[in-house]
Amino acid sequence: MSKFLGPLDSDGRVPPQQQTRIAAFLISAHGALGRRFALSLPLRLESAWQTELNAQLYNESEIVSLLMRATSWAPELALGYLAASWEMAWLPAPVEGMADHALAAAVDLATLAHAVHAGVRPAALLPPEASANDPFVMALRRVEFESGRLLQAQIVFLKGESLVPFRDSVSAALERRHVQVRKLWRDMLQSVGIADRDENEAKP
Amino acid sequence: MPFLAYGSYRIRYELDGPTDAPAYVLVNGLTQYAELWTAYRDALVARRFRVATFDLLGQGESDKPALFISQDDQVKALHLLISELGDGPVFLSGISFGGLIALRYAIERGERLSGLVPMSCFAELPPQLFLLGNALRTGLILGGTSYLQDLLLPMNVSDAWLKPVLDKLDAVKRQGWLVNDVYALQNLMESFLDFKPLTPQLPAISVPTMILNGEFDFLTPRALHETLRVGIPNSSLVIIPRAYHAFTLEKPTLTADLLARFADDVLAGRWHGNKAVWIAPEDAGGDLIPFPAGYDHLRAIPVQGKAP
Repeated sequence: MSKFLGPLDSDGRVPPQQQTRIAAFLISAHGALGRRFALSLPLRLESAWQTELNAQLYNESEIVSLLMRATSWAPELALGYLAASWEMAWLPAPVEGMADHALAAAVDLATLAHAVHAGVRPAALLPPEASANDPFVMALRRVEFESGRLLQAQIVFLKGESLVPFRDSVSAALERRHVQVRKLWRDMLQSVGIADRDENEAKP
Repeated sequence: MPFLAYGSYRIRYELDGPTDAPAYVLVNGLTQYAELWTAYRDALVARRFRVATFDLLGQGESDKPALFISQDDQVKALHLLISELGDGPVFLSGISFGGLIALRYAIERGERLSGLVPMSCFAELPPQLFLLGNALRTGLILGGTSYLQDLLLPMNVSDAWLKPVLDKLDAVKRQGWLVNDVYALQNLMESFLDFKPLTPQLPAISVPTMILNGEFDFLTPRALHETLRVGIPNSSLVIIPRAYHAFTLEKPTLTADLLARFADDVLAGRWHGNKAVWIAPEDAGGDLIPFPAGYDHLRAIPVQGKAP
């Protein structure tokens, strides 16, 4: 099983079946983040940190929009089932050890966003010969680059002073989300013939 | 590919060479991965050493803690690896960040070591290195791993190394970019946020210690290695001619030869650190020569030193 997308066609493009599943997964994950950021965003901003919610919402929307347009979609019967299982995984989850429900919900959203932005690296799937002029190739590179930028808000929040008393709970919730997202990502990649470079759960 | 279990995390490692031979443990720099020691593994195994290489927590194929990685954890994980080596002599060497982890190990568990080789290393974060570290971290945050590599490459290797690869830098950077993740590198860098200087603890390092410093190391210049030479009792400082911070990448044959000769000398009872300053040969197998008497080895121009 290859670690990279392909075989590429003669123009250096990724096969449409692989494009379809990868784009569907990314749209599901980033779309879910966008929806949850939208629900967290008040109509009128009251605090400076809420400006970041606005930025995250529109960056996630941009990723979804980009993938919708840059992907060469192929008919895919299994996509309905797969998308449903992915969507279930993005639902809010309790954070143990935090009595403040509002804070726990914020932590849960941040851990999911951290896991998606940090643990899913679509550009790392591209072989060196992938065409730099192909919109899907460029979209994967852009999603990974933007994810690294978006991730900073989650890092600042999760490492911040306000969560120091809950460090163990936060770390445990974050590790759980990473395992969950990585497994879904790896399973999806395996379904299109790709061995994820990060196969920690599969190690002996 | 074997793994060690450190709590819930796994450390990827590799052992090569005869099991009854003295061991060399090599510790990666910040953006590195175990395969970068391949030339050292081959050279040291050929000279009848056992060689242990591994990825630190947060690097390469080892697990990457999501939010925090402490340097204490790195030292404990290193101890796990050294425990795999049995009771024979162990020489420990690391470069840059890995050198710092090696120093910390030698301070805490020096009794297990026969020798120590910190390379391009530091025990303190003076203003220049502190600000450079902050700028590199900002570069990683804003531009990702690739931009961090763009900043480090010209700083850490010579024109002679860069010139032939200038039109294929993406290929040079690709493996490091593939195996290292932004958040994990950031966690490694942020393990310095509560860093406390090791200088007061350096006298506790009692093992023979050869400190290697590139002549033109810009990131961790001579003064930082001087702190090690002055603080570690049985040490020598060896200056690698025409070398920059990442001389382990640029001069593997020479550096592996120096590592092997150091271990051979220690095992034969020939090593005497004497806090001396040496100049390494240009090529493997050449003689080390003493830094010229009367001149200040901390200067880049020939300035006479102060009388002791």
